[in-house]
Amino acid sequence: MPSPLRKHIPYILVAPSLAYLAFFISYPIFYTFSLALFGNPSPMVEVMTSPRLGEVALYTTLIIATVIPAQIVIAIFASLFFLNRFRGRELVLYLFIAPLAINEVAAALIWYTMLSSSGFLNKLLINTGVISAPIYFFGYEFIDRTLLAIFLTEVWRATPIVFIIIYAGMQMISRDYLEAADVFGLNLWQKLRYIILPLIKPYIQTALIIRTLFALQVVGPIFILAGEYVRVLATEVVYWYSMRLNPGVASAWALLIGLVTLLLGGLYIKLLRPSAGAT
Amino acid sequence: MLSKAIVTRTIAIIIAVIVIAAVAGAAIYMFTRPPMEKPVIRILFASTQLAPPAEQAFMVELLTEFYKETGIDVSFLPFGYVDIANKLEAEIKAGRITVSLVGGLSTEIDFFASKGLLEDLGRFGALGGRTFLEAAIRAVEDHKKIYGITTFVPWMTATFVVVINNKAFDYLPSGLTKDDVVKGTERWTWDAMLAWAKNIYEKTGKRLVGLPAGAGGLLHRLLHGYLYVSYTGYQAQKFNSPEAVQMWGLLKELWRYSHPESTTWSAMADPLLKEDVWLAWDHTARVISALKTSPEKFTVAPVPKGPVGRGYIVVLAGLAIPKGAPNQEEAWKLVEFLTRPSTQARIAERVGFFPVVSEATPAITDPGVKKIAEGVTAQLGARDSIAVAIPPLGGKAGDFIAIYREAFERIVLKGEDIGAVLSGLEPKLKAIFAELKMPEP
Amino acid sequence: MRRVWVFIISMLIIAWITVPITYTILSSFADLVDYYENVLPRRYTLRYYEEYLRLGVGEALVRSVLVGILTIILSMIIGLPAGYAIGRYVFRGRDSLKLAILFFKVIPIAIMAVPLAVLFIRVGLYDTLIGIALIHTAISLPFVVLTASSVFGSVPRDLEEAGYVFGMSGLQVMLRITLPLAAPGIAATALFAFLISWNEIVAAIILSSFNRTLPAAVMTPYVMGTGGELPDPYKFAATTIMVTPALIFMLYIRRYLIAMWGAAGVR
Repeated sequence: MPSPLRKHIPYILVAPSLAYLAFFISYPIFYTFSLALFGNPSPMVEVMTSPRLGEVALYTTLIIATVIPAQIVIAIFASLFFLNRFRGRELVLYLFIAPLAINEVAAALIWYTMLSSSGFLNKLLINTGVISAPIYFFGYEFIDRTLLAIFLTEVWRATPIVFIIIYAGMQMISRDYLEAADVFGLNLWQKLRYIILPLIKPYIQTALIIRTLFALQVVGPIFILAGEYVRVLATEVVYWYSMRLNPGVASAWALLIGLVTLLLGGLYIKLLRPSAGAT
Repeated sequence: MLSKAIVTRTIAIIIAVIVIAAVAGAAIYMFTRPPMEKPVIRILFASTQLAPPAEQAFMVELLTEFYKETGIDVSFLPFGYVDIANKLEAEIKAGRITVSLVGGLSTEIDFFASKGLLEDLGRFGALGGRTFLEAAIRAVEDHKKIYGITTFVPWMTATFVVVINNKAFDYLPSGLTKDDVVKGTERWTWDAMLAWAKNIYEKTGKRLVGLPAGAGGLLHRLLHGYLYVSYTGYQAQKFNSPEAVQMWGLLKELWRYSHPESTTWSAMADPLLKEDVWLAWDHTARVISALKTSPEKFTVAPVPKGPVGRGYIVVLAGLAIPKGAPNQEEAWKLVEFLTRPSTQARIAERVGFFPVVSEATPAITDPGVKKIAEGVTAQLGARDSIAVAIPPLGGKAGDFIAIYREAFERIVLKGEDIGAVLSGLEPKLKAIFAELKMPEP
Repeated sequence: MRRVWVFIISMLIIAWITVPITYTILSSFADLVDYYENVLPRRYTLRYYEEYLRLGVGEALVRSVLVGILTIILSMIIGLPAGYAIGRYVFRGRDSLKLAILFFKVIPIAIMAVPLAVLFIRVGLYDTLIGIALIHTAISLPFVVLTASSVFGSVPRDLEEAGYVFGMSGLQVMLRITLPLAAPGIAATALFAFLISWNEIVAAIILSSFNRTLPAAVMTPYVMGTGGELPDPYKFAATTIMVTPALIFMLYIRRYLIAMWGAAGVR
């Protein structure tokens, strides 16, 4: 192949995706931008000076910074576990990823019903005499525990996405490397640190980016589990759009989600560049 | 081992083939369905009300009769309120409208009208053979004053009630009888409700009052349409007044006996059925499934009164036609059908809403609906009742609601000083009415 | 010892997943009075499913399957080449391209509802299955491109080069070596595309009128502000209706997800 053409191959391959997205989404996005930035006062300014900003930043960070790392760790260990051959592996693996099929709102409702004061778990524990009074997870007074419930629901529902990506990566690792590691007597931790993690870096990067994108847009589950009192970026968008009927401010919050996503995405790409020689 | 794999694989392939064939078959059927004998007119009826499956199924049944009568095929589709607004706005902007009729609360229709999305129904003339309720006519007139057009035809009405688990009557505080509560006498006050809740808490150790304070709940209606009116006589005028301070004091106290999970509840039907709460205040449509499921367990009572009177909201649902909608004559025929006294009586029987035409005094047989109807009638009949309508604020409705909800959050949940919160929020409330050049309700 | 651990972990995973799901499915058949009174329902009914069926859930299901399949096909055709380019080539602007593609997914659909619907009406795609599939493709494309890029990025080059050495053409190498090696990852990608489409509700509601997809038909009562009055068992029935076809789909694609251990290492 002549080399000038070869140079352009990647651009030619990427072009359809970019053109497609540009055609369908750029006009609406442009509209969103103009709503968010222009107006008197500018909704963006309103948002940046809003008294809720601090609270929103706190809860968003709390949820993102606990859920996502937990999911990555669980996914890595689950992948290691499923590399074992054992009877019924396929079934267990299938069950493990089953929550993928469940809509996020539905998953939140399931967990709400399981954990509420008169829900399945409390009824079960009370009927079997383990506890005498119900354990509360929901309601303004128990907002710390509500955060725990949000954490549980998110981990239950969305870990499979992370797992599938990371597991696909682990399956790509040549068995030779691990056999060599065994020859040199590396323990599990050393194998992880020096062989597996460097090799699955691009997968971790992808998983992080995708999960962060999703996590920053979770709304329904938070409204179901916490009412309006756990405010994050995405719930602000819906709150201002549907309840306050103010598309300008809603767009500004949405734009903020965009900026945070890009920032984190850029960070992941920088930090998790595939090490030289890995590909 | 090998044969097992083959068997599983074969079964898998067979299932796959069946599934694919079924999907493909259904798809082919759907897309090549033979055209009907005579051309039918299909119209789309989008509604924010009657979304639960049982109510949708009832509408489908009702609309089948309409089809038999007129040959007009109506698709009834429930939507969220903002979704309809978006849909109408986009369709009107692009000049291709699919929705022929919209059903929604008068406050929602008010928002559509404020965005210029509705036809003037004045040109269709009056509907004969039915007398609309006074409150309904007033709401239509209010819109006419603001927008200069007849925006909607009244469809159904509803209100808020207190639903009581019968067990609670064993814990009545001294000086309050079951009769007082059910009939809504002088002694059925918000203070009495507080004393009752406190008594229940002291005897059972449980906080059994329920309020819909979740993200989708209607708590703000309790605040501006019930408590404020009962204590100050107005929804907004005396937002920051000594009477208001007294009211917030009561609510703060009542919250101590309210179920902590209230802040996650959008509707009280489920908490009532689960016996999470014994005393609950909510919209009739949001408690009806509890009453239909276990009518023997509950009693419906009018809302308590305050020092000034028994404030309550008349909720109104209406029917509107989007600007430039297709098949408007057919849509109007549907409006006529839905507001006919006989249809109205049947709607009351099946869903948590009541007729808007006085000829439809239905012989209600469903025990659950009957209970609600009795409660509502008692409320309407109480001598000291002050009926109010939700102010038509168009795009500002969200800001209005938010002020009351913020006050609740800061005073009741966070325990901030009542006076300080109210003085801080009052200018914002006044600004809304000043901007709309409306008198404060 | 190792077998004991495998057993314990397997049991934990099974419980962690099946308890909530089983509870959901059982409750979706529970008699209404019974559901509220007992820990686990004792009397069962098909009532909720019958009501949903009468409301045209069957047709909506077929539409959703068709939209899902269309979404897979479209997003693969458009997205895989981009993923291959980003995964395999080192070229100027690669990282910025990655971010640029991502950027299209950062604004919630709800905010874009009105301009999007206007666009669709003008192009004549409003209320069509292809229209919904096109927008679902746009939503899932960033994920397809990203996942595919990491998948192609780790297909060993030496195997492809061996292919060339044996005289295969570029296309043959692609079809006989690269794609089979990347199969598990591509299966995961297809799964994402399908599930995103299957569970998408906002665009589906706004861009359709008569032709509603499954989530638009059964999940509306979940959407805030409407149907807060719906008893739990109805919601569980809706969930079960939504989940079952997706689980069946996953059952098939699962075979590819669990490729042979160290597929790349098999020589």
